[in-house]
Amino acid sequence: MFDSNFALHSFPKILSVAPTTIVLSIIATILGFILAVLIVIVRERNVKILAPIAALYVSFIRGTPIIVQMYVVYYGLPQLLVALKHAGLDTSTNGLPAMLIAILAYSFNASANISESIRSAYHSVDHRQYEAAVTVGMTPTRAMTRIVIPQLVANFIPNFANLFIDLIKDTAIVYNIGIVEIMAKANILSSIGFKYLETYLDALIIYIVICWIFAKLFQVGEAIDRYHTFHTQDSI
Amino acid sequence: MLLELKNLKKTFKNNHVLKGIDLAVKEGEVIAIIGPSGSGKTTMLRNINFLETADAGTMTLRQKRIDMAAPTQEQVLWTRRHMAMVFQNYNLFKNKTALENISEGLIFGQNKSKEEAETLASRALDQVDLLDKKDFYPSQLSGGQQQRIGIARATVLNPDIVLFDEPTSALDPELVGTVLRDMKRLAERGQTMIVVTHQMAFARDVADRVIFFADGQIIEQGSADDVFDHPQHERTQRFLSAIAEDY
Repeated sequence: MFDSNFALHSFPKILSVAPTTIVLSIIATILGFILAVLIVIVRERNVKILAPIAALYVSFIRGTPIIVQMYVVYYGLPQLLVALKHAGLDTSTNGLPAMLIAILAYSFNASANISESIRSAYHSVDHRQYEAAVTVGMTPTRAMTRIVIPQLVANFIPNFANLFIDLIKDTAIVYNIGIVEIMAKANILSSIGFKYLETYLDALIIYIVICWIFAKLFQVGEAIDRYHTFHTQDSI
Repeated sequence: MLLELKNLKKTFKNNHVLKGIDLAVKEGEVIAIIGPSGSGKTTMLRNINFLETADAGTMTLRQKRIDMAAPTQEQVLWTRRHMAMVFQNYNLFKNKTALENISEGLIFGQNKSKEEAETLASRALDQVDLLDKKDFYPSQLSGGQQQRIGIARATVLNPDIVLFDEPTSALDPELVGTVLRDMKRLAERGQTMIVVTHQMAFARDVADRVIFFADGQIIEQGSADDVFDHPQHERTQRFLSAIAEDY
């Protein structure tokens, strides 16, 4: 039978590791975003050699499950460091924290998805506005910062919000490499009490609340940005 | 001469769009360029403003000679600050109000203060009778209103030449008149203009010189009366008879 007492007692314990999920998601998204901007610049400017590599990287990441990517980084990174050490570089292979590996794996994953989202937002801004901006005497950089990028950002935020919330949910598998976050804690507690539904329901509620809060935050952010970009109040 | 083009050539993937154009424009002159679609009219305007880079040709603007195939960034910026362009699809900045659309170029292209730019922009809006729409966004305006703001955005910069790329082609017929009226007012104020247009009545009425363009070349040019009433070339005659009801 469902043990509501066990569920109630487990809830604060599971909630206590929620910051791990949130911190991992935020840091991975920030690093992923920085990498994504570089990918977009390389691809949109069609930089020789780098552009096809970036395209291959994006298609590779988007075409493989994140759990596989995480294992590749988890087992591959220490070996890479060993190889670098043999090659004479001063790299330490001891005690590479699982959190760092997870952050790297999720940053790579986020970078590919975010870069595609930025590109789609960029392409949805009518390029002829850029042409008009340079014909009134703006420099190309100024035309981008005054005209193109503000519209790009407005187009990008809703997609970005979705990607971020997906990433939060995707972190539920990092317990596989030993990080204790919401899902890991639920697993641990359930195996102690042999009560599974109770802890997983706790985890479910916590994920829903976290995702809902971030969805609301993005909604407000989007409304504020649209107001500043287009001064329309329809979304507020 | 205010502007002189020599041997302007442009090719897109084996398609010779401009086959060596020579054109001289005097100060205050209004030139209408007519011709069939795909004859290179728009490409010529885009090359003059460096939205495309030519394969060959030189441009002399205010005695400054520029290699059109290899302009420096400075030359591109200098040219654009002496010219302005009005586009077929208006190309207004969607994230800016009518007033900001006009003042942006003054502030960020000509380094004017925000106050001065807004005063000039308001005056320009007034000249196209749209001052009451100054806080409207492009999406809140009709095509005709957007195009008149496009004209104000170009002329407020006090350019030596305004290039018009089929400014009425995207408009509903009932909105064409107001745009043409604003262009006519501009011509009467002595503004040098190169107008690519399908509005033969406008070309006849306002242009000092009409140029017939076909297959990337200037086939014939002269006064409106010469070109429309006594076309010399068979190609011009065919074009004019095909669109006879328009003028």
